[in-house]
Amino acid sequence: MGNKSILVVGGGISGLTAAVEAAEVGYEVYIVEKNPYLGGRVAQLNQYFPKLCPPNCGLEINFRRIKNNPKIHFFTQAEVTGVSGQEGDLEVRVKINPRYVNENCTACGKCVEVCPAERENDFNYGLDKTKAIYLPHIFAFPLKYVIDSRACRGKECGKCLEACAYGAIDLDMQPKEMALKVGSIVWATGWNPYDASKISYYGFGRYKNVITNVMMERLASINGPTGGRIVRPSDGKPVEKVAFVQCAGSRDENHLPYCSGICCLASLKQATYVLEQNPAAQAYIFFIDIRALGKYEDFYARVKDNPNLHLIKGKAGEITEDPETKDLIVVAEDQVTQKLMKERFDMVVLATGMVPATREARPPVEMAFDGNGFVVGGANGVYGAGCVHRPMDVASCVQDATAAALKAIQSTLGR
Amino acid sequence: MESKEISLEMREYLISAGAQTLDWCMQCGLCSALCPWRQVPGHISESFYIRRMQRLGQLGLEGFDAEEVLFACTTCGMCQVNCPRQVKIIENVRSMRSTTVEAGFVPGTLRSVIGSLHANGNPWSGPREKRMDWQKGLDVPAFTPETEYFLFVCCTSCYDPRSQRIARSVVEVLKRAGVSFGVIGTEESCCGETVRKIGDEELFKKLAESNIELFRSRGVRKILTTSPHCLYTFKYEYPELGGEFEVMHYTQLLAELAREGRLAFDGAAGRRVAYHDPCYLGRHNGVFEAPRLLLQSLPGVELVELSRSRERSLCCAGGGGRLWAEVPRGERFGELRVLDAEDKGADTLVTACPYCIIMLEADCLALEKNEKLKVMEISELLIQSLRE
Repeated sequence: MGNKSILVVGGGISGLTAAVEAAEVGYEVYIVEKNPYLGGRVAQLNQYFPKLCPPNCGLEINFRRIKNNPKIHFFTQAEVTGVSGQEGDLEVRVKINPRYVNENCTACGKCVEVCPAERENDFNYGLDKTKAIYLPHIFAFPLKYVIDSRACRGKECGKCLEACAYGAIDLDMQPKEMALKVGSIVWATGWNPYDASKISYYGFGRYKNVITNVMMERLASINGPTGGRIVRPSDGKPVEKVAFVQCAGSRDENHLPYCSGICCLASLKQATYVLEQNPAAQAYIFFIDIRALGKYEDFYARVKDNPNLHLIKGKAGEITEDPETKDLIVVAEDQVTQKLMKERFDMVVLATGMVPATREARPPVEMAFDGNGFVVGGANGVYGAGCVHRPMDVASCVQDATAAALKAIQSTLGR
Repeated sequence: MESKEISLEMREYLISAGAQTLDWCMQCGLCSALCPWRQVPGHISESFYIRRMQRLGQLGLEGFDAEEVLFACTTCGMCQVNCPRQVKIIENVRSMRSTTVEAGFVPGTLRSVIGSLHANGNPWSGPREKRMDWQKGLDVPAFTPETEYFLFVCCTSCYDPRSQRIARSVVEVLKRAGVSFGVIGTEESCCGETVRKIGDEELFKKLAESNIELFRSRGVRKILTTSPHCLYTFKYEYPELGGEFEVMHYTQLLAELAREGRLAFDGAAGRRVAYHDPCYLGRHNGVFEAPRLLLQSLPGVELVELSRSRERSLCCAGGGGRLWAEVPRGERFGELRVLDAEDKGADTLVTACPYCIIMLEADCLALEKNEKLKVMEISELLIQSLRE
């Protein structure tokens, strides 16, 4: 008989799903999440395709299921440092990094008003800044502030300590280590967007108005850096003409050889963000093939109907910037007209693909990977779930994580 | 519109003639979009799309063989290094060119080049016996079995009076650096890089085989080249014909010596220098640092980076046989390179390839920028600093 508890590594949509599914049939579940909040990349999305509804309601439902279920325990700012034992009887070592803010926090925000130090806001992919003490985002769960120790000036400053009426700040907090005994593990650490600065001809990192698709989600989000107004990073001007550059690093032997399968749909969706906000705007999508698989063909057909959306068959070449206006010039061969297309845009969105988190951060446990770092197989009581398996959309992650929960349960039974 | 016929025979011929990766192409079009021809206006720019040329080749459809399409590619490699499917686009171009060149059809501007290579072993219509005339008044060591490096001087720097200055300054710097090197003489033939790109495989083989035999018979093991084009073909194409040598561009050796402190420059040049990465030194051979290191070691030289540099360097337009092409002003991308240098406030545009020098100097003159911007080969700047 194995240990009847399950460890879920990663608190994004896949990890939450696996945790909730396993706990709701009676298993003890521990979630270990690296960020100071749960929800992962989904929390950073503005809308889901194809329904174009916000992800918050789905996340809220999951968070409520977690809150109401005593069998689920979660640790934020935590990471797995080692695993030993075998299927059904595993010992996991976990390190919990200090939050410097304790349970007393009411998220009143008085500390932010006095904090003199700033940090790049990673939740918004660097599009804005927060104070060194910050709330990751307005829907953050747990709804507690956190201090970025790299930005914080420490005790000599101590302004937040004075401002906090609840004694919630503890600058002496230390990292903690703990050990968990579990029967099986679901590894759901998700994905990272491909580093667009590696595609040198697209100028990401050199030109302010070249952004990536994940940044576009933040720009369009009501809780994003601009309150949901889609404006140019260089000057805050509303975007009237936008280019989406598909396969920015995908289907490319020099970058990611595979198709992420979601970026075409994401760009179609993001085109609706722009056109919704400004019906006179023009959106161009430069593509190799539009890949809207299965049921999504319908979404593609619907979005493409908009006369202000222009689909250009031809992968975009070098992007250049007009140094005065910071406008961007995109060059492509329009394969329908077989002519050169040289268009000026306010903003360019690079449709970057998904890199499995396991490519760079290999789990400290034996698992098999393919050449791109995706998890393959899984039989020693450790199962991948979601985007560590292959690039996938949210709906597929939920299915994949449910399947992983079942496998994890079987492992605890010694099967 | 007249109908065109798909020819599987043509397609098979292309593949057998070197276009083995033709079918890897998925027609994304990145090649067309990154092509330097997109940077300029004009007839060739409007007719020549490398993506379309690959497609016509895949189907064996006529159209790729129109002269302005077939011979437009400068083989700069911008498309090839970035191709998502890693298609060897330049080899495909070469095989398409061979369909007409091997049948004896060569564009007018290239006829004398091929004729002279057959007759004289160089593309410049120079008599073979004058191949070493560039050395006049200079004591150039002869290569012996005891010599470490065989210095192979590009035909261009053997015959073209402007380019001869490059050969002379390279020799001077190597002597100052105490390098053991020597030349063979009039028996040397053109390396064949460009004629292979033009599509004359047979002539390339003839030149290469004669060189390989000559180099071997003299006991050559290490080769220094003045041109990145010779470097490319010696390094990547001679081995298939049995010619295995250790090959370096001269800037690589000098940079090594400078790094080890065995070559120091003292004359203050007082120049603002922009470095143009030659396609064949940079993208094709991966040498980006050596020339920069040399320039940075020159006192009084302020090195500025062009907006499109290193892997993204813009071609001078002189590769792939285009050195001899007639292109109207305003349609030459070498002109853009001169403007790039001006844009960065450079007073000197330095490069490391004899083809680039010919192209950029002509473009600088055509734009009447030659008073403000001096085009120099890197060895010319080095020797100035050693002389002063």
